[in-house]
Amino acid sequence: MALMPKRVKYRKQQRGKMHGRASRTNYVAFGEYGLQALQSHWITGRQIEAGRVAATHFLRREGKVYIRIFPDHSYSAKPLETRMGKGKAEVAGWVARVKPGTVMFEIGGVSEEVAKTALLRVAHKMPIRCRFVTRRHSL
Amino acid sequence: MSQTLGLKMEVRKDIGSKPASRLRCDGKLPAIVYGHRKEPITVTMNRHDFTEALHHGHRLFDAELDGRKETVLVKALQYDYLGKDIIHVDLIRVDLSETIRVTVPIKQVGTSKGSHEGGMIDEILDHLEIECRVSEIPEVILISVKEVGVGDSVHARDVQLPAGAKLITDSESLVLHCHTVAAAKTTEELEAEAPAAPEVIGEVKEEEPAEPSE
Repeated sequence: MALMPKRVKYRKQQRGKMHGRASRTNYVAFGEYGLQALQSHWITGRQIEAGRVAATHFLRREGKVYIRIFPDHSYSAKPLETRMGKGKAEVAGWVARVKPGTVMFEIGGVSEEVAKTALLRVAHKMPIRCRFVTRRHSL
Repeated sequence: MSQTLGLKMEVRKDIGSKPASRLRCDGKLPAIVYGHRKEPITVTMNRHDFTEALHHGHRLFDAELDGRKETVLVKALQYDYLGKDIIHVDLIRVDLSETIRVTVPIKQVGTSKGSHEGGMIDEILDHLEIECRVSEIPEVILISVKEVGVGDSVHARDVQLPAGAKLITDSESLVLHCHTVAAAKTTEELEAEAPAAPEVIGEVKEEEPAEPSE
């Protein structure tokens, strides 16, 4: 199974809407370089895992990859050829809700060129447009 | 950074988000000048000139305001939601001879001994707060990491500060640490650790019916 919470209060959730921009997780905090979302979207646990594998495979044992998002929101989907009604369907997967500006992945301990290539590979696994960002040092 | 740079500024009368966004469309940058127990003044300046100066490491400016020259220091910058463009600047009035508290970024110099042994440097703190004269504010604080091996740490007390600067950040604060990189777990290993479905808090599990005792 892909990423999902260990314990939840309620198994099924309403889908909700994603308005606005990221007001937190919107800067590089742990590593030196990051991958920032430019669109709002659901990122599934599988996509996050695919991004992690792409980055760690490229970096081998060099540097460290930080994942800043977690799929804590469940969604349900009805099976095929099922009539409508009969209550809410079973949970089909878990997603992270990402807004524009969210820094989704970070990399530290490698050069900028290496981080750029690794994060480009991660960006290919994401369903949204992304941007490479560097840590902004304070004044 | 000790040198001041002349920057043209105009006093702006219209305040608020809409006039400010109109200014940004015209290539200007809204800012505020305050400090020294004088009235704060809202100003505008050329965005290109200011960002260019900032990229060249300038933090001190000689501002011409209403025919008077004032030395100002960049106190804070506000960025847009992507952290791409500067949208507002806070400038504080300073005197070149006065002593102030500033945060100065840290820059690592050299390749650490630990990185040749398969380790990596984790930068915990990327800036230090110091107290120094305005004319002597360093652009960056350089830390040589050549002698840092695996398992070694550098604390704020170990950092060589420029002459005349006093450390304000807690001296016990960890600045950087060199450690080995653990092998990343494979997807199969992670899947083996993770439960098939999350546990629902407060959910009563259905117990198997007890077999008749007869």
